[in-house]
Amino acid sequence: MDPATLEPRVQAIGRDLAAALPRGGKGPLRALDEKAMDYAAQDAELRAALFRFVDVVPACRSLDDLARHLTAFLDDVGDRPPSIEAAMRMGDSRAGRAALGGAAAVGVRRMAHRFIVGATPADASAVLRALWQSGVGASVDLLGEATVTSAEADRYAARCAEALDALAGVYAGLPARPLLEADGAGPTPRVNLSVKTSALTPLLRPDAPDLGREDAAGRLRPLLRRAHAAGAHLHIDMESFDSIEAVTDLVLTVLAEDEFAAGPSAGVVLQAYLRESPAQLERLLTWTREHQRASPLTVRLVKGAYWDHEVVEAVQHGWKPPVFEVKADSDRNFEALTRRLVEARAGGAPVRIAIASHNLRSVAHAIAANEQAGGGPADLELQVLRGLGDELQAALAATGRRVRTYCPVGDLVAGMAYLVRRLLENTSNESFLHDQATGAPLDELLAAP
Amino acid sequence: MSALAPFANEPLAELRRAPERERLLAALRELDAELPLRVPVWIGDGRREGDAIVSTDPGAPGRVVAVAAAASAAEVDAAVADARAAFPSWAATPAAERAAALLRAAALLRERRARLTALAVRECAKPWDQADADVCEAIDFLEYYARGAVILAERDAAGELLQPPGERNVLVHRPRGVCGVIAPWNFPLAIPLGMTAAALATGNCALLKPAEQAPGCGGELVRALREAGVPAGAVALLPGDGATGAALAAHPQVQTIAFTGSVPVGLEILRAAAEAPARGARHLPRVVAETGGKNCVIVDADADLDDAVPGIIGSAFAYAGQKCSAASRVLVHEAIADALLERLAGAAQVLVVGQAETFGTTVPPVIERDAQERVARYAELAARTGRLVAGGETAVPAEGWFRAPVIAADLPSDSPVLHEEIFGPLLAVERVTGVDEACDRVDALAFALTGGLYCRNPRTVEHVIARSPVGNLYVNRAITGAMVGRQPFGGNRLSGTGTKAGGPDYLLHFTEPQVVTENTVRHGLVV
Repeated sequence: MDPATLEPRVQAIGRDLAAALPRGGKGPLRALDEKAMDYAAQDAELRAALFRFVDVVPACRSLDDLARHLTAFLDDVGDRPPSIEAAMRMGDSRAGRAALGGAAAVGVRRMAHRFIVGATPADASAVLRALWQSGVGASVDLLGEATVTSAEADRYAARCAEALDALAGVYAGLPARPLLEADGAGPTPRVNLSVKTSALTPLLRPDAPDLGREDAAGRLRPLLRRAHAAGAHLHIDMESFDSIEAVTDLVLTVLAEDEFAAGPSAGVVLQAYLRESPAQLERLLTWTREHQRASPLTVRLVKGAYWDHEVVEAVQHGWKPPVFEVKADSDRNFEALTRRLVEARAGGAPVRIAIASHNLRSVAHAIAANEQAGGGPADLELQVLRGLGDELQAALAATGRRVRTYCPVGDLVAGMAYLVRRLLENTSNESFLHDQATGAPLDELLAAP
Repeated sequence: MSALAPFANEPLAELRRAPERERLLAALRELDAELPLRVPVWIGDGRREGDAIVSTDPGAPGRVVAVAAAASAAEVDAAVADARAAFPSWAATPAAERAAALLRAAALLRERRARLTALAVRECAKPWDQADADVCEAIDFLEYYARGAVILAERDAAGELLQPPGERNVLVHRPRGVCGVIAPWNFPLAIPLGMTAAALATGNCALLKPAEQAPGCGGELVRALREAGVPAGAVALLPGDGATGAALAAHPQVQTIAFTGSVPVGLEILRAAAEAPARGARHLPRVVAETGGKNCVIVDADADLDDAVPGIIGSAFAYAGQKCSAASRVLVHEAIADALLERLAGAAQVLVVGQAETFGTTVPPVIERDAQERVARYAELAARTGRLVAGGETAVPAEGWFRAPVIAADLPSDSPVLHEEIFGPLLAVERVTGVDEACDRVDALAFALTGGLYCRNPRTVEHVIARSPVGNLYVNRAITGAMVGRQPFGGNRLSGTGTKAGGPDYLLHFTEPQVVTENTVRHGLVV
């Protein structure tokens, strides 16, 4: 596939998508109506204070405690806007702290609600059904605290099993959405659950991947059986580079077992920010050719959500970061991997492709590449994150694309790590959403990386 | 020398990559074929082999790792005499040349990294990640102190004293003389080499007495220093047991003793130092001592347990808790004590107790039978007077000095388990009403080496910092793993003489400062 001949289509699709973005709606960043978020985007100290506060909210025992934490963080900010000064003054009295703590708790809960659809799959059912009605699928992700014990891993696995059943109920009886229910390779499940290996085992050790893989496999197999029985898709998320060998080996060894040849539908994640992602993709493609399963392996292509972590960890240890350090390199690699995926599928590799990005350019490129390789609209799934990709989701659905929204489910305590990551990521001035929200011209947004 | 690149820590092996792990396993196979290593008493050009000291694999006590001679009192005398003879020339060697030799030694260690890592795995049962960090720290000490000595010489030359007209003031830091280095087994490469390198960098002659459990590692270090061009008289190897160490510490012509080890031995060395003049010493021996710890981690109610649990578990049980920095007590706010205990217990139960050479092992065997029995005694005491929440009945391999990790709670406040250094995989958890009670308990201890705090309120963090007596306080992270140039390491109170290894002030302990003031006024004129 020649990127040069692809380019005019990328631009045309990009413009169509841009035109289909909801008008007059709030941008994904402006949608965060808390004034604090505006401050956070402008001032590094305030941003740090806000995120450190959000992070500690679930651990605060009372409104008073909450207010004390808030004022302690704000106290470290050198140059405080007037409204923050006012908040600081409230911290001086018990009544003031109760009011301030109450307001802050409400604010954080509202923020969390944008990204997290409910405390349980049942709570989330209204949102999930509404998405389906509007032609949008979902992948549910059960948020949780870190798994450090076997009991916690067992509880997570049990929650996943329950979620598969609950989601089967949520999607039962909903009207047909052909674009979401079959592609060129056959039917695709309505129910789609994403699971995390780090939650399935307390034994992920960077230097001993077998340990975590074997322990997690013991909990993954029953989930695969359950998913198969429920006709659901199970997607194993990718996390930090420390666990990549364990996670990849886990998925590829367990799915290769005879028992799972007939199902369920399952998938893995490829992180384009990793320098070695092209080699990883080749490994996946080789595997799909060597292991014929009833459902092709879904490969969800993402940029990667642990960039800061990877860079900090590498620098602290004296390692070369496993990720591209320049964002444009990740974007370029994302496109190269996209093309490799659609070409491999066109060449007969049993693989389904999910493109997970909020970058209009990356998405338009994937759509154009899929077209050029002869894929229909159902053959390319586009994935967005709840709360961040809402507008893109609407534009994709409106233009007849297959779109799935990643919907985290969990309570505030469980969801805090996810929430903070999303907030940090999206007040970063390196992100596409930031450029989009701050009014970068469309030509620039759609330019080849 | 100003062309030297700024100090940077030696990168750790990236063990999350399979080829790195395979490389190390291959190095272990090569080493095994070579065992046992022969370690001589090595004074000047004279090498005497012997078999008085034998180090064995703590995970397979039948496997002999090194066979060493034990330096006699006469040999200690000879080594001191040899070092005294070599001292004037080594002391007069420009700092930059001494530094160059240390940097060549660092390069040799770097070449031999895999083998040295494997040796620490075998001789001291350090799991791979721990052994690798040990080798890196050894290299760091060479690189850091080489630069530090050059900087010190440059600073002396540049002159920092006030110079009023008619007066020339010069401060120089001269080497002290012969330095006896008495090293522990738990960092069998980094700690002996750190102390030795500091002595050598500043122009002292060093006599290294490695731990009797780790003569093989000590031998490799002296070999590297010699091959790098440190003169034969400037560094000697004196393997041996406590008697060799005692002879070295009591020698009236040893000016400095650098020691890392237990409190009782540290006190003996200080006593010997005080008595040195009576034995004919014309100096007060300086003792640079790094002793034990009883390290507490405070967990406030607002702590993030997702961070605290792995941080505490790693600090308490990595390398079976055999680090002076290891976590020994947790002081947790009562509001989250139950949750923390449950998670700590569960996290301890999944730790792999196994051979150091097996990737994934967190808790290797302890160093020797005595250690195994000592830890068992404390565990029994904890079970009898308190409650074991983890590790009471975990099975461990029969051969080798294994001890499963133990977590104890509800101990009486005067329990020896809470006050004595155990140096093994035993962690005690106590409930407190708040950080102030926790600070009170920390303050009541004689030890003050490392400490930890998990807390997310910046005001509380400041408060605990202000109240903390420890030498190294870690906030919201593990309390072990100090790195050269990043966390200069050393304890206060009974934990040491207050020196900071791997920090900018450490070398000063190996020097004698001298100030020369010259009157430059002649006949009322400044000339």
